[in-house]
Amino acid sequence: MINATPSDQPAPLFALRGICRTYGEGETAVRALIDVDLDIYAGELLVLLGPSGSGKSTLLNILGALDRPSAGDLAFQGASLTNISDHALTQFRRKHVGFIFQFYNLIPSLTARENIELVGEITENPLDAQEALELVGLGNRLDHFPSQLSGGEQQRVAVARAIAKRPAVLLCDEPTGALDVKTGVRVLEALQEVNERHGSTTLIVTHNADVARMGARVIRFGDGRVRSVETNAQRTPPSQLVW
Amino acid sequence: MRALDKKLFRDVWRMRLHAAGVALVLGCGLSVLVMAVGMRGSMERTRAVYYVERHMADLAVSLVRAPERIARQLAEAPGVQAVEARVSGVALLDLPGVDEPPSARLVSLPRDGRPRVNDLTLARGRWPDPARAEEILLSQAFADANRIEPGDRLAATMYGRRQTLLVVGVANSPEFVFVAAPGELFRQAGRFGVIWMGREALARAYDLDGAFNDAVFILGRNANPAETIAAIDRILDPYGSTGAYGRDRMISDRFLSEELRQLSTMATFIPALFLITAAFLVNIALGRVIATERSNIGLLKAFGYSNAAVAWHYAKSALIFAAIGAFLGSAAGIALGRAVADLYRDYYHFPRLDFAASPATFVGAWTAGFAAALAGCLVSVLRAARLAPAAALTPPRPTAFFAANGGLASFAAKLDAKSRIIMRRIVRFPRRAGTTALGVAFAMALLVVARTFPAEMDYLLDVNFGVANRQDITLTFAEARDQGVLHHVERLPGVLYAEPFRVDDIVFRHNGRTVHEAVFGVPQTARLSRVVGANQNPIPPPIAGVALARALADKLDARPGDEIRIEQTRGQRIATRVRVSAIVEPMIGSSAYMELNALSRLLREPGRISGAHLVMDSSQLKLFNLAIKRIPTIAGASYIGQAEASMRREFEEGVGVMNYIYAAFAAIMAGGVAFSAARITLAEQERDLATLRVLGFTRIEVSYILIGELLALALLAVPAGIALGTLLAIWLMQLFQTDMYAFPFVFNPSGYAFAIAFTLACVAAAAFVVRRGVDKLDMIGVLKARD
Repeated sequence: MINATPSDQPAPLFALRGICRTYGEGETAVRALIDVDLDIYAGELLVLLGPSGSGKSTLLNILGALDRPSAGDLAFQGASLTNISDHALTQFRRKHVGFIFQFYNLIPSLTARENIELVGEITENPLDAQEALELVGLGNRLDHFPSQLSGGEQQRVAVARAIAKRPAVLLCDEPTGALDVKTGVRVLEALQEVNERHGSTTLIVTHNADVARMGARVIRFGDGRVRSVETNAQRTPPSQLVW
Repeated sequence: MRALDKKLFRDVWRMRLHAAGVALVLGCGLSVLVMAVGMRGSMERTRAVYYVERHMADLAVSLVRAPERIARQLAEAPGVQAVEARVSGVALLDLPGVDEPPSARLVSLPRDGRPRVNDLTLARGRWPDPARAEEILLSQAFADANRIEPGDRLAATMYGRRQTLLVVGVANSPEFVFVAAPGELFRQAGRFGVIWMGREALARAYDLDGAFNDAVFILGRNANPAETIAAIDRILDPYGSTGAYGRDRMISDRFLSEELRQLSTMATFIPALFLITAAFLVNIALGRVIATERSNIGLLKAFGYSNAAVAWHYAKSALIFAAIGAFLGSAAGIALGRAVADLYRDYYHFPRLDFAASPATFVGAWTAGFAAALAGCLVSVLRAARLAPAAALTPPRPTAFFAANGGLASFAAKLDAKSRIIMRRIVRFPRRAGTTALGVAFAMALLVVARTFPAEMDYLLDVNFGVANRQDITLTFAEARDQGVLHHVERLPGVLYAEPFRVDDIVFRHNGRTVHEAVFGVPQTARLSRVVGANQNPIPPPIAGVALARALADKLDARPGDEIRIEQTRGQRIATRVRVSAIVEPMIGSSAYMELNALSRLLREPGRISGAHLVMDSSQLKLFNLAIKRIPTIAGASYIGQAEASMRREFEEGVGVMNYIYAAFAAIMAGGVAFSAARITLAEQERDLATLRVLGFTRIEVSYILIGELLALALLAVPAGIALGTLLAIWLMQLFQTDMYAFPFVFNPSGYAFAIAFTLACVAAAAFVVRRGVDKLDMIGVLKARD
């Protein structure tokens, strides 16, 4: 097993021990995650890299409390997330997790500002919608509906929506997957900005090796296992990424 | 099977819940259509066959007395094919074990064989032996209600003479399919019956030996009824005829015709609501299917299927829904029709009444079902036909929403984000929101209508028994008597107060119109039986002139101030002119009213009364009943309190069953529409709702968006449902209005409250069933999935 935990760090935000996730039973069973040990620290920008089906998204789902591990232990700030109720998982997502989806998933019937206010309604001390949108460079698109925004703009609204609740962790599933390079870069810049200014632990799932160059650590997945954990000595700013 | 048809059946299977909703709603409507149209046809056929088989009279006449030989003249009158000259009267009966004496119409049987006109069907027992004076036949409804069987005896006071009669048989006649006491419009099977007995015995009882006082006629095929009536009237005029009349004035036939008319109304109104709702459901379901099938549509067109073929493919699924609904509706309609036929057969004592809906009825029902489905899918199918193949193969653009302006915008600003989602969807998809709300409104309207009927009836009974007729008992004398007889009546046991009245059969003429009706003489200070004026308030009878019930005034085209001609049909047959002083609103009946003494003076019979209304000491009723059974001059006693109680009971039983049926109909309608709309809302918003779950919204919060939209639409439906229900109720009341009943619209707040609450509950129930889909939202799938 590869030790995926640096030794000179304080107590981890997430601690994963022996995490397995199997779908189905018997001969048709698919082992999506096999025996993953990992510590994730507060404020990190982590890139999970791997081809389709390698297990990176499954891990993201488990960290985001959308799925439960079949075996192993998962703790957040020292408290176990493994055997808690559905309601408690919802509350965990509500309080601590910001999600960014590949296809933005904005509510089409709400404007950019309202999409952010929507999250604000279930959060204590949320970021002001305008402030959040300005942070991603969309301060002038407040009252536009999703259908009136480009893909990149929609994704940046999604970033603003995710950070509006000042989440402890920001989970991004292929955030640039549906975007061209130029708009993808703008989204990544926004993510980095948020990570640096608000200190949200940021996990970006991607199969794009170039994106990995912006992460502090890069965790490579293959066949459901963590194949390697690398620390980028020199992080590349998103503006210099090309793919 | 062609591949496309395989796809069709799989599509329908996939949409089975929507298909079930459409089929159920359609089934409800078509079952009523098949039942009502089929029942109407069956009743009409039964009536026609019954009338032909039993020689139902085309004309009838009553008179004071004519010698037997005149009957031969009548037989030779132009157009007359058969005539039966009879003796007829009314008698007070004394049944063993029955305190309150009921009354009966007595009709003579011919000396030789069966009646040539208005023949009888023997239900039980045998025909009377003409040689035995005491043997009688009794009408079945009366015999059944009083549990009288052949072999039982009863006493009758006929023309002042008490006689004991032996029931030898129980029979039915086309003349008395519906039987009500003279002057009463409600049937009380046990209180008024028909007795048929030998001509000699009855003639003796009524001092009509060798004479007759009633005749019934069958007309030849080419007869001109007006001409025959004129001939009969000419022949019988010297004998105190009140004028021959056709079936339009025969109470029994009039009631049957009324029943048939109501079946026709039912066959239009209820199915129409359901057919429109079914069209809405098809519209909602197909709209969604075609939206999700865009790429398939593109593919089919890319393969070379024509626009028409694609349109037909999707229209066929709507037609399959309709076929299932039409099949269900036909089967349920037959079952319902059979049940209703049983009820009618028992009620009217038709010798047989088999429900049979004609092939045309089914063809009509299926056509209506298919038409509703096609109308419902038209917009969606046209959209599928118009979709360009290339456009169909590209993913749809995200649904564009726009900011509202004006009042809506400031309203939206006050809402939380979740409520704003609801509001924007309603505004964005107005047609679908409209159809959903209208479907719910229809259910509400149906319930408003259903609840208005009993309220109307209650009101009618309240006015009739609370304002117009407050007496306990009405005594009717066999013949008009001198007012002095009131003292004897007042001295009968238990009588606390007696109020005289007079009633005369009158021919009214005005503006070339002629109407036979009763005129009532009411004392100026009447406390019991009173004239009902505007807004159903009692008013004193006019001293000068005559007050006409609105229905009578309409028939005569008479207004206050007009002078009309009145002709007494009995007694001295006074003909004179009188001024219309007021139009009154009695709700029941269409008579005329005058002050008692004024009427007596007008008819030159001062001091004559026809009967008395009584207030009773209820503890003395038994003694009173015993006493009147022995008074020969009393022809009938109406127990008003009893009549009211039995009427209310009968209505409540009928209304109870109808309320369940209407509630079930409304539940299917509202539930079906809400269920369909909720499933579509869930399907369309699946991704958004799952996103919200991922973002940390709880199931309850997410469910609010789904349920809230439906409930908002249901609330929007409330004013529409109330307005529509009220309009329909007013319209139906007008349709049901006859010269026998008048129905002013009655506002029934509890009925409205029930309609609203029940419909909202149905919508909520449907929404909560669909809400379970929120628990099953695929939060992981939504991260990857694209719209």
